[in-house]
Amino acid sequence: MSMLEQAHRINQRYRAFNHVAESLEAEGGGRLAGFHVSVKDNVCVKGMPSTAGSKVLEGYTPPFDATVVAKCRLEGAAILGKTAQDEFGFGTFNVNTPYSIPLNPHDTGRSPGGSSGGAAVVTAVADFPHLAIAESTGGSISCPASFCGVVGVTPTYGRTSRWGLIDYANSLDKIGCMGKTVRDAALLLSVISGPDRYDSTVLHAPVEDYGAQAGEPVEGLRVGVPKEYFGEGVDQGVSDVVWGGVKRLEDQGAEVREVSLPFTRYSLSSYYIIAMAEASTNLAKYCGLRYGLQLPLVGSFDEYFSAVRSVGFGDEAKRRIILGTYARMAGYRDAYYLKALKVRTRVIEDFRRVYRDVDVLAAPTMPVVAPRFDEIADMEPIQHYMMDILTVAPNLAGVPMVSVPCGESHGMPVGLHIMADYLGEGDMIRAATAAEAS
Amino acid sequence: MEATIGLEVHVRLRTASKLFCGCSTDSSDAEPNANTCPICLGYPGSKPMVNKKAVEHGIRVAKALNCGLASMVRFSRKSYFYPDMPKNYQITQYEVPLAEGGYLTVNDDRIRIRRVHLEEDPARLVHVGGDITSSRYNLIDYNRSGVPLAEIVTEPDIGDTKEARLFLEKLGVMLDHLGVYDPHAEGSLRVDANVSVEGGSRVEVKNITGFRNVEKALNFEVVRQLSMSRMGIDVTRETRHFDSETGSTSSLRSKEQEEDYGYIIEPDLVRINLSPGWVEEIAATMPELPDQRTRRLVEQYGVSGFQADVIVNSGLEMSGFYEECCRLYGEAETVANWLVTYLLKSLNYMGLSLRESGVKPETFVELLTLIDEGVISERTAKELIKDYAASGESPRRIVEEKGLALMDMDELRAVVGEVVSENSKAVEDYLGGTGKASEYLLGQVLRRVKARADPNTVRKIIMDMLDSKGEYASVAQ
Repeated sequence: MSMLEQAHRINQRYRAFNHVAESLEAEGGGRLAGFHVSVKDNVCVKGMPSTAGSKVLEGYTPPFDATVVAKCRLEGAAILGKTAQDEFGFGTFNVNTPYSIPLNPHDTGRSPGGSSGGAAVVTAVADFPHLAIAESTGGSISCPASFCGVVGVTPTYGRTSRWGLIDYANSLDKIGCMGKTVRDAALLLSVISGPDRYDSTVLHAPVEDYGAQAGEPVEGLRVGVPKEYFGEGVDQGVSDVVWGGVKRLEDQGAEVREVSLPFTRYSLSSYYIIAMAEASTNLAKYCGLRYGLQLPLVGSFDEYFSAVRSVGFGDEAKRRIILGTYARMAGYRDAYYLKALKVRTRVIEDFRRVYRDVDVLAAPTMPVVAPRFDEIADMEPIQHYMMDILTVAPNLAGVPMVSVPCGESHGMPVGLHIMADYLGEGDMIRAATAAEAS
Repeated sequence: MEATIGLEVHVRLRTASKLFCGCSTDSSDAEPNANTCPICLGYPGSKPMVNKKAVEHGIRVAKALNCGLASMVRFSRKSYFYPDMPKNYQITQYEVPLAEGGYLTVNDDRIRIRRVHLEEDPARLVHVGGDITSSRYNLIDYNRSGVPLAEIVTEPDIGDTKEARLFLEKLGVMLDHLGVYDPHAEGSLRVDANVSVEGGSRVEVKNITGFRNVEKALNFEVVRQLSMSRMGIDVTRETRHFDSETGSTSSLRSKEQEEDYGYIIEPDLVRINLSPGWVEEIAATMPELPDQRTRRLVEQYGVSGFQADVIVNSGLEMSGFYEECCRLYGEAETVANWLVTYLLKSLNYMGLSLRESGVKPETFVELLTLIDEGVISERTAKELIKDYAASGESPRRIVEEKGLALMDMDELRAVVGEVVSENSKAVEDYLGGTGKASEYLLGQVLRRVKARADPNTVRKIIMDMLDSKGEYASVAQ
């Protein structure tokens, strides 16, 4: 069976793709020679439909490759297709999209998590050399990696170029990657990291060989366990499994100590205000004028724009546009948007302070295992947002993190979240390999 | 003071590429939408990059307007939906403008500058078959999308329409001297004007292009508001559109319909620190500014302050033209007299710029030389300069083509001889003691030779001829 046939079969069973490549093309050798790379739908691939999971971008085929995609091609990878996601990344369960809603391979009655759900599903089930490009704004790599039992790496903000990423919230968006093992994910991370003249926010620090850090000893590594991340709302079974992972680190000589990140409790509201404020401006460009969904040209431009946007956006996108616009309006801006920015600074200070004493932090990635679709259907939007309680603080701060499978609870995978200091991807990879359940 | 006026001037900065991408800003010969890329079209996944040259131009403008510079450049998103906006937000500066708190002196009055900031130009809308309110559809040309603009905002320090015009003229000349602006490019200077009269609310007139239109729009608006308040009608706060065809303004939206721009910090751009070293480097290479040049012209060429002021404020090209003429001709005061009194008057009358007229230093100096050589009279020169200003043609050639050269003495005597013999009655009157009859003959001769002879020379020939007739007559008796 060819790779493309396998991809189609995965798609039939788990609805993991929004688009499967017509053909597989790889150029020459390189670090990714022999690998097939799937790309989250919001990362532009030249000549391949890229909708970011939204109807408003129906039929849109980008005229350029995202920098991370170009880098993969240069290293000899073949692009397998575009993986399913929540519309523009707006979701935790990958159910907010008019396209494929992927199924969790461990139990198809459950969500694979979101918003990079498709990426995690393909990574979990592909039995050929595969790596996934995913993207996180508030936890969209960690969450599905945790729910599907794969490794999901979210790098330091700015470590990877965002050129070609269809924006959700620019000050939070990070392109990252997934693999079956820490070593695999670290390989792709090394490839996609580094400076890029097309993204002003990218970091210019040299890129380490993260793959070489995999399996290095953790003796003497200082591991902080933030007490706020094991509290109320975190499932006991999940908590137990995560402690098991921490124990493995300790057994290998890491020094484990309890730490505190008090501003984590404010991070969820700060995150959603900033993310929605930015998202509401990013989504303004979708109005049926230049690309994507178009309707018959009737009425004034206001009427036309409204018609396209009414049809093109899903409920969650509309909700975030409305809330985000509200948060930045004159009269509310100070109380919401600007206040949220101040809180963000405090969250950053929290992490900076704690990293003076520890090298990495260890916590559960998600408070629960993957929920069933019927449970999700009964949840209010705020309950969806609450699912991100453990992932938004490091995302808001922009520190790197990896979710690594460390066992099972209720028969479903549980992810251990390792968070490192800015540009501490090396330490993070080292700790993750040590904690990885074998 | 008849009104209170504040201006928001959008100046198109002269850079090779756009503010946030590498596309060319020169679309004078380009097909619509040729100079575009995913960035200036706002394609999904594209990100802006700041053009350093544009920031440096902004710093020059700020320095020349005596503003205090910010310590960093930071951009914001200004959100509103309009078809000329590729992203439906404009990248501009909101929280921290590039510069604040400057001034520009106009006739000894300081017009305070509130702020100077950088922003991107939207695309150009072509209203097909009508104007903004009547056209059935629009075409969009994104060649202009992303062209760098400096927005210069004044305090409401301008008291009337004339002062507004003077301010803009001075500003334009200053920008031209700075080399940051092309006064000849279409739409290179666009103005939003805030106008109010005593007792009325502030009215904003949007998007006026060019100096002359600003004057027209302000005149219309001031008169409209004054007549309303005289009739006891409240002038309410609103935004109005200026129609350059009719020279009138019409309501676009009232205060209640004002947009809420929902500014956020542009998250795709990092802040750029304006290091003292960088700013000093730019300041050290600032060109001579208009006021400095005016002072120098007085010192270096000995022209009057008035003349220097007129020359400098007629534009960068005019000052350069003057100095080049001085170099070629030598007598700076003569050049200034002819330039200010005659050439500028002709150009202004015809509404031509120096460039449009085709007038060149070499040919202007030729005109002055023709006077010096005695080829033409000053009177001829004053007439000739009109044709010259209109065509830019060589004055020597115009003189030849139109036969304007002064007649030599033999030719002149022949004409006088003809006139004398045709007007025997006048000759008799003169000889009979009516002295003013010679003036009649002078008039007849001048009518015939037009400006090709100096009246004093003609008078001398007539007198010589009449006096010799007198002598002959007395001998015959």
